[in-house]
Formats: sequence, structure tokens, C-alpha cells
Amino acid sequence: MHNYVAVVFDDTSKAYEGLHALWQLDDAAEITVHGTAVVHRDDLGNFQVDTKETHPALATAVGVGVGALLGALAGPAGAAIGASGGAAIGAAAGGAVGVAADLDRADTRDQAAGETGFVLDAGQSAVIADVSEDWTSPIDTKMRSLGGTVYRRAKGDMEDDVWFDDYYIPSSYLYPYEYIPSSYPW
Amino acid sequence: MICRDLEGFTGLVEIGGVTMGRVYNHTPTGEHVMGKMDTSIKDSLDHVRAATQELHGAISDAVAKRGGATKADLEALAQKAKAAAESAKGSLSTQQDAVKKHLADAVTKLEATQQHITESLKSSGQTFQTSVQKALADARASAQKVSEAVAAKRSAASQQTKK
Repeated sequence: MHNYVAVVFDDTSKAYEGLHALWQLDDAAEITVHGTAVVHRDDLGNFQVDTKETHPALATAVGVGVGALLGALAGPAGAAIGASGGAAIGAAAGGAVGVAADLDRADTRDQAAGETGFVLDAGQSAVIADVSEDWTSPIDTKMRSLGGTVYRRAKGDMEDDVWFDDYYIPSSYLYPYEYIPSSYPW
Repeated sequence: MICRDLEGFTGLVEIGGVTMGRVYNHTPTGEHVMGKMDTSIKDSLDHVRAATQELHGAISDAVAKRGGATKADLEALAQKAKAAAESAKGSLSTQQDAVKKHLADAVTKLEATQQHITESLKSSGQTFQTSVQKALADARASAQKVSEAVAAKRSAASQQTKK
């Protein structure tokens, strides 16, 4: 099964433990990880994607791509927003942040919660991953032990949601290896 | 930590700041950390995967450098892309059909990566930026294709174990 997974944690350090655990599961051949990203939502509700400082245009593309992916993970309602650009996260060089304003709308949040349960609240962090897994239990068990909550959508379902919007799933903005930004306060 | 066996396999050399291998008791330094390096149990596909991941990381690092990638960076990247493509091609014949298609796609992407890097060496300004960004996108796509090949291989092995 080719799935997209969002694992929500209440604190940032746990999100990185989750990221590490995902790649360890890959090493153990329990799953295959195609790409990952870590997204934070601060107390004011702003989103941030951890990425390398890079060309501003590219950084913005990463933000928009991961923002759309978050929207698609949230279900058909979120996918529609992602397709229209409303769920875009503007990540400028150095990790500056924009806001996914439309995803904050109460009706959209309720719909997303009803469709998939996936909503990233203020102060929470999430590991977003593109994975192939024969069983869901390796990820579920490991992430639960770390205090994470796993949301999962099949790649095919996400593609169906966005099909009529002439949109694609931008997994190409996920890191194809474990990436931990230097700014992270270990 | 650099895997000497992998260097030998790909013909690549260490790039400053690229950390290979999992160092669990080590403070992460903000660089990417790639595949576990117990090469005695890794097959050629795992090596190709590590090479494509390393290539993507190296291009990404070059793009992220303050002031942008230098000519020396680009020349090294072109060599790295070539080595990764050759590794992938060399591994093709030993793989099952389910794996071959993904791996062949990866070779195509790696060759495109090499071509974009070569083009970037001859260009400047916006054309240069476009070439480097295309190289990064194709390197990412090659890593994705190889990981899909790995997934196909693992899935096939898993099905066989069930029988």
C-alpha cells in the first residue's frame, strides 16, 4: 500500500523522535519511506515547514507543496483548498512562515476532522511521510509508543480528491532521507 | 560517518557536511542522515538508493549555499550524478521485473539530472537557476523512483515469505 501519513505530536522534540523512528522502520525493512517533512504550528497558529535555507523561489515552492499536501491529508475539503492554493504555506528562505488561512476556517476544520480526523492544532507538530507499507501496525505501534497520533490516507484516494482540480500531490517536496534542520535546538 | 564500502561502490568521495549513516548517540548537525551503513547485508539496490539520496542532498546543499553553487560544486555534482546513473544501470540486470521498471525510470531521471547540471555549467543568470532547479527536481525524482523499486522488492519478498 502506498500511503501518505501524518503523525501529530504535542511537542516538537517528539516529532523529531517520530521522524527518526520512521527512518529506523525503513532501515529495518518494515516499511519503505519515500519522503518526509516536519511541520510545526506555533501558538499563534502559523505553520512552518522545516527545510534548508535555499533559493527563495524554491523555498516558497516547498511551502506551497507541503501546504497542499497537508490539505489533501485533511480530506476532500482540504484537498480542494490545497488545489486552489488556499492551504499554501509560504516558507521563505530561513524558514519564515505564512498562514494557511482557509484551512483555519471553522467549517473547513470541522469537515476535515469529520473526513479524516487530521487537523493540526496550534502548538502541535507533525511528521508528514510518503510511505509504502504492507501492514499499518509497524508505524501505528511505534508512533503510539512515542505519543503520536497517526492519520493515514491512501495515495490513490488523495489523487482522486484532487483529480478534478487538475492538481497533483506534491510529494516531491518531501526529503527522500532523514533531514533535521540545524536550527533545531537539540 | 562515511561508509568506505559505499565510496568504493559508487566511486564517490565525501562531500563536506554530508553525513552518511545513523549515528544515534550523536548530536544532529542539521544535515541529512542517510541509510544505515551495514553494507554486509545491503544489496546493490540499497547502494543505488543511498547514492541517489546523497546526490539529492548534495545538490540541495549546493543550492542552499549562500551565494549559490560554484563551478567546482557543479562539476562534482555532475560526476556524482554520472556515478549514480552507472550504479543504477549496473544493478538493473540483477533485479526482478517489478523492480526493473522503477529502476529504469530512476536511470532516466539520473541522466536528466546530469544533463541539467552540465547545462548549468554553460549558463548564467535565470537560465542557470532554472537548470539547477531542474537538476534538483530530477534528483529528487530519481530518489523517489529508487525507493519505489526498494518498496517493490520488499513487497515481493514479503509475499514470498507469506507463501
